[in-house]
Amino acid sequence: MSESKQITMQQAAEIVKDGAMISFSGFTIWRRPCAFVFELIRQQKRRLHLIEVNSGPHSEFLIGGGCVSIWESSWIGHENYGKFGANLTRKLKGGSIICEDYSHFEMGFRFLAASAGIPFIPTRTAMGTDIHNPHYDMLGRAGLRDGSNPKIPRKKYDVIDDPFFKGCQQVLVPAAKVDVAVLSVQQASRDGTVRIGGQFFSDPEIARAAETTIVVAEEIVPEDYLRREPRLNTIPNLVVDYVVECPFGAHPTGVSGFYDADGDFIRNFYMQTRTQEGFDEFAREWIHGMDHRRYIEKLGASRLISLKANSALGFSSKVQKG
Amino acid sequence: MKPTKPGRDNDYTLADLMTVAASREVRDGEIVFAGMGMPILAIMLAKKLHAPNLKLIFEAGTFDSNPKALPTSVGDPRCVTASSRSSGMTEAFFLAQRGYVDLGFLTGVEIDKYGNVNTTVIGDYLDPEIRLSGSGGNPDICSFARRTVYIVLQEPRRFVEQVSYITSPGWRVKKWPSGEFVGRRELYGDAFRGGPSAVISTAGVFRFHEDTGIMYLDTYHPQHSPKEIAGLCLFDLDISRVRGETPPPTAEELFLMHEVLDTEELFLPRSNDRAAVPNNR
Repeated sequence: MSESKQITMQQAAEIVKDGAMISFSGFTIWRRPCAFVFELIRQQKRRLHLIEVNSGPHSEFLIGGGCVSIWESSWIGHENYGKFGANLTRKLKGGSIICEDYSHFEMGFRFLAASAGIPFIPTRTAMGTDIHNPHYDMLGRAGLRDGSNPKIPRKKYDVIDDPFFKGCQQVLVPAAKVDVAVLSVQQASRDGTVRIGGQFFSDPEIARAAETTIVVAEEIVPEDYLRREPRLNTIPNLVVDYVVECPFGAHPTGVSGFYDADGDFIRNFYMQTRTQEGFDEFAREWIHGMDHRRYIEKLGASRLISLKANSALGFSSKVQKG
Repeated sequence: MKPTKPGRDNDYTLADLMTVAASREVRDGEIVFAGMGMPILAIMLAKKLHAPNLKLIFEAGTFDSNPKALPTSVGDPRCVTASSRSSGMTEAFFLAQRGYVDLGFLTGVEIDKYGNVNTTVIGDYLDPEIRLSGSGGNPDICSFARRTVYIVLQEPRRFVEQVSYITSPGWRVKKWPSGEFVGRRELYGDAFRGGPSAVISTAGVFRFHEDTGIMYLDTYHPQHSPKEIAGLCLFDLDISRVRGETPPPTAEELFLMHEVLDTEELFLPRSNDRAAVPNNR
């Protein structure tokens, strides 16, 4: 048996320093480490550089909580339960956050490059769009591309001629070299082996791209159980630095095979937090002075039962999706 | 949305009509990259009718999916049901870039006469009036698919001469660093596969001129006229090629949409006269 990497949620959040570049697992309203994000807000993290393939409710929590200075991604919203990122919009208009837009594939490729230890990757996507408008390089406009932060690339993107084939121009996008990646997953062992159920999104790339990778598992399972069929595992233990066990740790987002996204919770959050006063009220009710246990108690058993996935289907057959 | 015809069985809403128009854009055997809402319903409807061999890809990482329950988003575990493979986004992105995708279905907030689409900001990007959700996979799917169909609300502020921000490339796009407009074929070179092929709005169905890439009206929805639709665009809409009215949904299409695919009315509310059939949910 290897050494245990298990720590508490509080200890895990303490690893994230003010100003860190941070990224999260999942896809829009699925498998986002929300309990971890609530702990970051309680610990009053500041000036975080949030960089992710796409954003969701967890990003809106962190942004509304005043923890984020730079948002670099392709999309933010709550799918059916809220059209856009009301907190990001408010902070952008107030001038307290910088937004750097890439396309979805570009963001994915940026993590892929970092995960492979290469500085950039060529692609042919989004050509001719304002994503490549040099006037809209927002980190550049803020003077942050001067090389003083080694994680921020000197250019938003570049273009080269194909050096090998008689092909078209290639767009180069820079590696997303993050400090900390936090993943919400179904199962992990204490040694850090991860088994993700359903679609694994960009999680293996994000895990390898980071200096420090923290896994928040719905359940910690015996190492020998995961090693009986290693091909079913998604991320090898050597990529993972810390493991936290936290059932319902992704709520209100969903976890394939465990529970559905809580559409009512997300919609209420979206409606309530279109103003900062609304966000502060939400935070007083659901974040501050709480821990995960009290949060779960406040949600209540009947709500969690309706979200609980049917073990044969992988999703809830009871939840109202609309 | 109000029903447009009396009578129980053939009552349909505008959303029904748009979904059916979208589903008719799908050809059998195609590989389709699906977004949520009306697009997923249109694709699932096509698969039940004229395109049984279409293959559905979800951007989050599922290939040839056969959802039994309607997913609410592409990360939903409901997407994974009976798929050929379920993995992650890198594989989905690479398949699209490699050229496997025939058809993409997307939505737009603003669209211009060349099919450039905006889903990022309204107003000046540097000082936006409204910040929208951002690009997501919109430009990527439109860059790589042979055809892309857009669904857009018909309002003058949405059908504009030039979008505030080009999120997704149409038939005339910006060449950087100067920002001069050039033809899509010229900019994309041997990466060119196609572009926007149709726009389905709340008033009609639009296509793009083969040479100029300029939008024209193809069919108008019942209770609309070409002239009225032209008045709902801020650019000069070409109405010289109109074929007629958008064909209404058939009884079979209506049955499939409401009693099989979207029984929970997630994306398609029933018309007032189409009473909900009690189900065993």
